[in-house]
Amino acid sequence: MREVVILGVGLHKFERFTDKTLVELGEVAISNALKESGVPFKDIEAAYVGHCYAAMGTGRSVVTQFGETGIPIVNIEVACSSATQALLRGAWEIASGLYDVVLAVGVEKMGTGLISMGGETDRYIVEMGYMVMPASYAMMARRHMHDYGTTFEQLAMCSVKEHKNGALNPYAQYQREMTLEEVMNSRMIADPITLYMCSPTSSGASAAVICAKEKAKKYISKKPITIAGWALSSGTYAREALEFGGMEELAQKAYDRAGIGPQDIDVAQVHDAFSPGEIFIPESLGLIPEGEGGRWIEEEKTEINGVLPINTDGGLVARGHPVGATGIAQVAELVWQLRGEAGPRQVPGKPKVALQHNAGIGGVIVSIYKR
Amino acid sequence: MAVQRKQVPIDGRLFKLPSSPSEKAHLIGSRCRSCGETFFPKRSYCANCTSPDMEEVALSTRGKLETFTISRATPPGSLIQAPYGLGYVRLPEGCIVQTVLSECDPQKLEIDMDMELVIEKIREDEEGNDVMAFKFKPV
Ligand SMILES: [Zn+2]
Repeated sequence: MREVVILGVGLHKFERFTDKTLVELGEVAISNALKESGVPFKDIEAAYVGHCYAAMGTGRSVVTQFGETGIPIVNIEVACSSATQALLRGAWEIASGLYDVVLAVGVEKMGTGLISMGGETDRYIVEMGYMVMPASYAMMARRHMHDYGTTFEQLAMCSVKEHKNGALNPYAQYQREMTLEEVMNSRMIADPITLYMCSPTSSGASAAVICAKEKAKKYISKKPITIAGWALSSGTYAREALEFGGMEELAQKAYDRAGIGPQDIDVAQVHDAFSPGEIFIPESLGLIPEGEGGRWIEEEKTEINGVLPINTDGGLVARGHPVGATGIAQVAELVWQLRGEAGPRQVPGKPKVALQHNAGIGGVIVSIYKR
Repeated sequence: MAVQRKQVPIDGRLFKLPSSPSEKAHLIGSRCRSCGETFFPKRSYCANCTSPDMEEVALSTRGKLETFTISRATPPGSLIQAPYGLGYVRLPEGCIVQTVLSECDPQKLEIDMDMELVIEKIREDEEGNDVMAFKFKPV
């Protein structure tokens, strides 16, 4: 298999409301990614476009703004991990030798309030009030509090840290710091999750240009970042699992493919759809010892200057979460961190290895990137 | 004498209402004859081993509260009004049941406490029947 590198990434700022069309959002992100990569659009051989709420055929409408070159443009939906799936779909095809250069995109425009699944849902699930997105994180958080003594304050500290990082990120939806009191006293949504521990509904776009490493020299790009190993899962049945089973095995698969271990990770993005995810997700990936997530956040170990910086761009909670576009925004931040271009958010000590965890109702991805 | 209204389950796949006063309502699950795992709601193939050799079983009406939350918002289309409890109850068969809780005071709920199945009216249907849903309550 051939090695695959990211030559360029680009975002359109995430925001609550926008007057722009999906095509306009996507155009900005793609144009930024193409610029970083030095790749002319006519060299792109295929495009994968993640989104969840957009119309059918959206990928074609967005990508052909840059030219009708006849390339295959395929829409990908895997809920909150759609954009990363789009990226890795392209990476596989490059690795296998089918293409040399692929464009991956995520675009989304969302309404406000509790999000729906769209389409058809069993009537009883709707009528019996199961469709509360924060509920699953809330129940995992409560179990964590019960099993390990994690406190409500520690859950709120995750949100404080997310907003602190978001305030340094020009692409973030929320660029304002928040105090512990503000987070703890904001409206309770699903105990113990308060409003400011929830990722917002958002609009935005993300894009990446990826290339076979052996062909990358053709382009005058920013420093290429290697997609070193990745693993995807729809969840393995496990009697004890409240959500996806087999997370430890999935992470191990990604580590093995990248030839590293969890101790080698210098910076990470984890899928914090709700702040407490920053406590129990890193544990499931072997990044933080079991049960110590709460203490780690309290001891500031996951801050930008900590031993394991997590969600340096503000995470889903502060950066925003336009579901189908989120995945490549996580990747973009890691690419900038690995290149040393993250500005005020830059993790010190020249990070070499980065981990991305992107999860949704549709599946889970763990992916490793290397400088 | 008023005609007794008929009770119907919100979804016939989920639970059986008692057909006589001596019976109790119970959730319907599936047990895999191949690996022994039990599931709720019922399913045709085993999630654990993929076997199609599944038998329908009456599940225990008591279990333990694995974890819970109190939803403070009513999602669109929900007939259960906030605040309400949502939880996972672990049955002795090993399977986990996502459920509404009849208790919404977090002070009265505790992880690992014993819970019991209850059947409550959630709405009426077009024919005037009582549509019943299942919940769990602390024992
Ligand atoms: Zn089985």
